[in-house]
Amino acid sequence: MGNMSTSDLLLLAAVALPLLLALAAIKPWVRRRADVLLLLAPLPGLVAALAVPVGQSLLVVPPPFRLTFALDMPGAVLLGGAALLWLAAGLYAVFYLKDDPARGTFCVWWLLTLAGSFAVFLVADVASFYLAYALVSFSAYGLATHDDTPEARRAGRVYLALTVLGEALLIAAFVMLASSVTDANPLIRDAVAGLSASPWKEAILLLLLVGFTMKMGLFPLHVWMPLAHAVAPVPGSAVLSGIVVKAGVIGLIRFLPWGEGWPDWGAGLLAVGLFTAFYGVAIGLTQRHPKRALAYSTVSQMGVVAAVLGMGLKAGDGAVPALAAFYAVNHMLLKGAMFLTVGVVASTPRGRLLPVLAVAALLGLSLAGLPFTGGALAKYAVKAPMGDGLAAFLLALSAGGTTLLMARYVLLLLDVAQEGGEALAPRGLLVPWAALSLVAVLLPFGLFTPVTGLSLGTLFSLDTLIKGLWPVALGLAVGALIYQKPPRFSEVPPGDILAAAAPLGALYARVRDSAVLLDMVLRRWSTAALAVVMLAFVLAYVMAGAAFSPPITP
Amino acid sequence: MSGILGSALAGDMLLVGAVILPLFALPPLLLAPPRLAERLSVLVLLASLLVALALAARVGADGAALATFIGGWRPPLGVGLRADGFSAFMLVMTAVVLFATGLFAMTTPGAAPGRVARGRMPPAFWMLLASVFSALNLVFLAEDLFTLYVALELLTFAAVPLVCLDGKLAQVEAALRYLLFALFGSVLYLLGAVIIYGLYGTLDIILVARAASASPGFVLALAAMSVGMMAKAALFPLHLWLPPAHSGAPPAASAMLSAVVIKAPIFLLVRFWLDLAPTGLAVAVAPVLAGLGAAAILVGSLVALAQPRLKLLIAYSTAAQIGYLFLMFPLAVVASPWSALAWTGGALHLASHAFSKAAMFMAAGLMAEALGHDRISGLSGVGRAVPVALVAFGLGGLSLMGLPPAGGFIAKVMLLSAAIHLDAWWIAAVILAGGLLAGGYVLKVVGLALQRPAEPLAVRPVARWREWVALALALVAVGFGFVPLEPSSFLFIGRPASWAGLVP
Amino acid sequence: MSTPTVMGLLGAALSAIGIYGLMVGRDALARLLAFNLLGGGVFLVFGVVARRGAGAGFGADPVPQALVITGIVVAFSATALAVALLRRLAELREKARAPRPAPEGEA
Repeated sequence: MGNMSTSDLLLLAAVALPLLLALAAIKPWVRRRADVLLLLAPLPGLVAALAVPVGQSLLVVPPPFRLTFALDMPGAVLLGGAALLWLAAGLYAVFYLKDDPARGTFCVWWLLTLAGSFAVFLVADVASFYLAYALVSFSAYGLATHDDTPEARRAGRVYLALTVLGEALLIAAFVMLASSVTDANPLIRDAVAGLSASPWKEAILLLLLVGFTMKMGLFPLHVWMPLAHAVAPVPGSAVLSGIVVKAGVIGLIRFLPWGEGWPDWGAGLLAVGLFTAFYGVAIGLTQRHPKRALAYSTVSQMGVVAAVLGMGLKAGDGAVPALAAFYAVNHMLLKGAMFLTVGVVASTPRGRLLPVLAVAALLGLSLAGLPFTGGALAKYAVKAPMGDGLAAFLLALSAGGTTLLMARYVLLLLDVAQEGGEALAPRGLLVPWAALSLVAVLLPFGLFTPVTGLSLGTLFSLDTLIKGLWPVALGLAVGALIYQKPPRFSEVPPGDILAAAAPLGALYARVRDSAVLLDMVLRRWSTAALAVVMLAFVLAYVMAGAAFSPPITP
Repeated sequence: MSGILGSALAGDMLLVGAVILPLFALPPLLLAPPRLAERLSVLVLLASLLVALALAARVGADGAALATFIGGWRPPLGVGLRADGFSAFMLVMTAVVLFATGLFAMTTPGAAPGRVARGRMPPAFWMLLASVFSALNLVFLAEDLFTLYVALELLTFAAVPLVCLDGKLAQVEAALRYLLFALFGSVLYLLGAVIIYGLYGTLDIILVARAASASPGFVLALAAMSVGMMAKAALFPLHLWLPPAHSGAPPAASAMLSAVVIKAPIFLLVRFWLDLAPTGLAVAVAPVLAGLGAAAILVGSLVALAQPRLKLLIAYSTAAQIGYLFLMFPLAVVASPWSALAWTGGALHLASHAFSKAAMFMAAGLMAEALGHDRISGLSGVGRAVPVALVAFGLGGLSLMGLPPAGGFIAKVMLLSAAIHLDAWWIAAVILAGGLLAGGYVLKVVGLALQRPAEPLAVRPVARWREWVALALALVAVGFGFVPLEPSSFLFIGRPASWAGLVP
Repeated sequence: MSTPTVMGLLGAALSAIGIYGLMVGRDALARLLAFNLLGGGVFLVFGVVARRGAGAGFGADPVPQALVITGIVVAFSATALAVALLRRLAELREKARAPRPAPEGEA
């Protein structure tokens, strides 16, 4: 490994450092230095995202490690955003969990999830991707269930069940995908290039779409997300909702065959995405806790990303992945900042809430794409591939929905504020929160031109402004109407359609119980002894059939 | 070092030594004071491990099987020992697991009092361990169907008392049931061997394979021998003895039984169907074997999910995991370039299961020791008491679930690739479903163990050292995840010529 | 009918009885006896194979005889081990029954 360039080292360190820190945290004295651990871990990733030239280097780690790293535009954008959020949320967590006796464990899960999330954006071969994806998925369980309440345990069970299912779907897809290439562990791009020639292309696409959209929380596989994101400690929620779901986005970006049109599959993904965009808003509006409203907003936003990707898949537009990544990183930072807001509000007295709420509102409006905010750039970036048809209109309308949901979120924040008290929220929370909020609103301005190739000037035409403004205005107007005359509704229990899965649970219990019964019968001596004799006959019969029937097997 | 050893020693010394050396632990166990005897036993285990490594190194370096006829007598009168790549692989796997078992069982302060005097495994345990070692090596090396019969019986006689070391009623019942069913199996095996002798006048596997044709007698013999081995391997639906036996034994014994003892009959089934039987018969029988394997995976895993006790859960998991090795047959017996991959995947699964299951049984034993029970419902928070053991359990479980970077993942990918290419979709589906169910029962335990207990646990201290032994085994299982994703040429060394075209 | 044929049939019959006994045997002792019958049948068949001189081609093949003797020793050891376990089981059940009557378990 003597001839590694600085870029290579940075890519390697982005993943290796957090893993090494997690390993070092076996020692209690290391574990106690949570501040150092959480701040140090994301730094190489951040530097790598900034300094490593995009699309140039391919780092192959020598065997026995099956690891190939590469940095492309979507990967770099997501990596950089994720590093910033990990950094801010890490700072926040140091203070947030300072009195938690179990923070050492939290740190370990944090570092593992961090390593997995960076790896998922960076690795270029199929097997490593699966490893990275599994790492980020399973470690996130530790973040989500840290508080160990009954709700957290239930959320954890649902999350794990769907994660294991997703892993099974993906490994089937990956194995089929990789079998079109001679190399047993091909680069993702080589494997995907062979997709259209694969005899199982339909099955592979279906498995990939279901597997990855489950992680993104697309309807109807979103059920785990409101559960898991609402029960985690605040900084945990921020990274779960901001970063971990993006593993699904990068999965679609990496594994879908861009550049060749797949109209049916694209249309399907578009439809599911759009439906989810509205569904998330609708259910989110009924929620009574800001974190759950935010979780449903994530569902809705990932619907938007899926719709954009679906459009790109339909048209065979190879530029769409980078745009979708841009949209995703905008959501990543905003959603992270909004989750951190919940913690800030919870330690701010009601009387001094206004500035915090103003920031929260700004973040929400940015997510909805209010002109002159960073979010407007993200919305604009994905407009081009959406075209002018119904899909584009619905997507714009969903921004109105987002505005509505964000208004609801700001109002719900009022409920979690401290009663009485004078002091502002502690600086340990305020500083990372404020910094992240600033970055979240401004960063898209810096990224817009490099990612989309358009100049910022195009954003300031009257037409663009109107297109960005009307959904927000509509959302605010509807919000004001509702606020005047609130309709009576009851909160949809988080996980909404999960209740519909109850028969599945009953079915599982019945199957399991019949297996137990069958096992009891088979474990009787007389049954087993009979089975021995019967099996001998079956084997002899089968062999005789093969050996002595007219067409003798060669 | 093993390379030097390998070239320094003659091949026949290695072959005979592999069988004889473990038995050198017996005299000190009879004569020396217990503590010294224990240490000498571990030394003997280490020496046997070195012999196994040297043998494997020798086979790998020669690129050919190592064979000897004891005393220079050739079959049919003499007895042959032969190590091909697969045998050497099994020898090393067994030696590592048994050496680790020895380390785990060594006297440590703070072991559960009362069960065995002064927390020490009785000398009988060490004797049985040495006998299991020797018998297993004989199974892997013997070339002669009758020697194999004797080896299998020796293995059974050494394994059965391990089940009832503590001498409790349920354990003695489990041991007796194990013994009787195993005897049923081995007498069927003997019947098959007798018929083969009657047909071909020899019991040497290679000579029989050369002479064999699909005659009615041979068909009967193969059926009887296979069923006998299936009974000994506890393949569904012949698994009645496994759950009580493997869950009732002390942890070190369970680890050994579930990890390696159960693999001996499976090794022989592989030899029968891949080396001995004409391809036509093997192709006909393979789907039956795979069907039983699939049933084992599905039923075994579901029943594991319903178990109230941790050791029973792991025992049923063994009954399920055996199924994967039988799923391999239809993929491995057909003439296709993919069969070599399936076969490598099967062998890899066998090994990674051995290491992960040994680690899991040890970890479960430590959890039970810390808590004083192994009820799954009462495991909440045990991760705080024995964190290293929990990591060992989790890593072992990772391999069972087939998740990267563990060895089970690579094995699963190989089997899946072969299944998909050979259009055996139902096998692919069973492999995936089995992974899901394994995820269910592993994560159920890990999730509980990670919880914060409602009230502070009353925990008895366990020896950290034994936790590390379990972790080391789990790490070996994970280490298998780094083997190349391609057919292993080592496993094909010395395989029958019918394989020649299929070897990479 | 030649002697080997009669003996072969007898061996087969013994084996069949043994297998039947293993299937229907109610307790461990009955199964152990059935195992011994089955073993006896198999050894008898082996003896017949020897008598026919299958292997070496001459009047009586010595190899099976050596193997049968080994086999009998092995079967004897197995029986001894099983009997030892049975006795221990009986003791333990006796002990368990002393304070309270335990249901008759199946070994």
